[in-house]
Amino acid sequence: MIHFDGVGKRYPTGVVALSEVSVRIDPGEFVFLVGPTGSGKSTFLKLVQAIERPTAGRVIVDGDDVGTLPAAGVPGLRRRLGVVFQEFKLLPDRTVADNVAFALRVTGADPAEIGPRVQWALETVGMAGRAGDLPLRLSGGEQQRVCLARAIVTRPRVVLADEPTGNLDPEAAWEIVQLLARINLRGTTVLVSTHNPTLVDILRRRVIELCAGRVVRDEARGLYQSAR
Amino acid sequence: MRLAGSTSRRVERAAPGRRRRALAVAVHTVLTEAVAGLRRNGLMAAAATTTMTIALVVAGGGFVVSANLAHLAGALEAQVEVVGFFRRDVPPEAQERVLAQTAALEGASAARLVTRAEALRRLQQTYRSMASVPAVLPGNPLPDSIEVRVADPRRIRDVAEALRAMEGVEDVVYGAAVVDRVVALTRAVRVAGLVATALLVGCALVIIVNTIRLTVAARRQEIEIMVLVGASPGFVRGPFLVEGLLQGAVAAASATAVLTAGYLVLAARVAASLPFLPVLAPGAVLPAALAVLWGLGVVVGLGGSEIGLRRYLAA
Repeated sequence: MIHFDGVGKRYPTGVVALSEVSVRIDPGEFVFLVGPTGSGKSTFLKLVQAIERPTAGRVIVDGDDVGTLPAAGVPGLRRRLGVVFQEFKLLPDRTVADNVAFALRVTGADPAEIGPRVQWALETVGMAGRAGDLPLRLSGGEQQRVCLARAIVTRPRVVLADEPTGNLDPEAAWEIVQLLARINLRGTTVLVSTHNPTLVDILRRRVIELCAGRVVRDEARGLYQSAR
Repeated sequence: MRLAGSTSRRVERAAPGRRRRALAVAVHTVLTEAVAGLRRNGLMAAAATTTMTIALVVAGGGFVVSANLAHLAGALEAQVEVVGFFRRDVPPEAQERVLAQTAALEGASAARLVTRAEALRRLQQTYRSMASVPAVLPGNPLPDSIEVRVADPRRIRDVAEALRAMEGVEDVVYGAAVVDRVVALTRAVRVAGLVATALLVGCALVIIVNTIRLTVAARRQEIEIMVLVGASPGFVRGPFLVEGLLQGAVAAASATAVLTAGYLVLAARVAASLPFLPVLAPGAVLPAALAVLWGLGVVVGLGGSEIGLRRYLAA
């Protein structure tokens, strides 16, 4: 599903964010991406979304080579990905349902399908009862669940979550990770970058650790602790 | 074989249908998002449209003033003329020949003969104290003359020299110093008008582009999400371009109303209180001024949205 083959990323400023990274993530896997700040986690996720292009090696996402993908092909790739952000990025002037529907509307979905799919996504994350509320009336955990609903409403093949629990209390963080695990059980590949050791240790899923732009550990049922 | 063929044709027919439906969905989405965007950001859209209206009125006003200055300059130039005086013994037939030759001169726009009797009447009309001249003098002392209008004052010397060389013409006057001043003045007026219009249009352009850029920047998170969920650049641009177009059109319509009403009132007042000042008729200047307004409003409205979006679509 996601294949990094000898990938390097050097920014125009000269900063080397990734160096010789080779990783293969298969369909249906649940992977934690860990490592200290500045280790290259965000660049890793940006490469998967084709926000950045590799300066060395190859990044293959769901069959597309990110390095050579023409600009016109990028939206198509992104429609197969669902993204969850640490800071939620919900539109404050739209209801929960409108925020979720937004992802479908701007990607040209059939208007007749939008309502049922939004309902399904909100039910999946347990927010169907708050569909008419504005995001500012929700707690942080609820906002992140809406963000997760927006990520899955397009039925993506991969869900990327960049520090999804960074702004949440432990209880809300645990709920979000459980939801991600449930989404993964349906066959969706899930890639989560995190600094939260408790969640990694409880879930015991594959852990890829980055340090100074290199993969220093890749364990099938890893712990956060041994990453230190 | 026939069954397979007909199935294939059905598929071929269905594909354009799907494309048409997808296009209809895209157009519908872009339009509804644009209208929803204007409704959600009503205050900002109103502020932007008002700013654009003011900029357009100023630019349109500059254009109208400049056009009137050019018209005034043209009117001044049209009054520049050369007068040739005939010797007293030149018969009317010879004067007619001079008239024909003068009318054919390059640079001469019109020419007419003025008899000594007409010249005396004009003198008496202009100076009431001259009313008793025919009674005092034994005869009319004024000569017959020819008045020549010159289309381009810069050619007046050539016309005067040509006239002076003609048979029976004794003297030629054209007020060289006055003509030079008129030429310099009209040139300055035209250049100043063009520069002022260019500056005002330039300012309007910058104001409109920046106003729309601000409205786009205020919604950068919306654009960022659109880009990240896989909206095509056309889908991201569409609503913003439509909004820019609508804002530009509304501003142009408002500016049209203000400028038209303002010019009609001002032109009527100037015509009443300063009748000697040549003012362009509304029909002669407003169409061009309004074309500038609509061009600025709509094209710059669209362009401003595109420029504002460009940095957010780079990712």
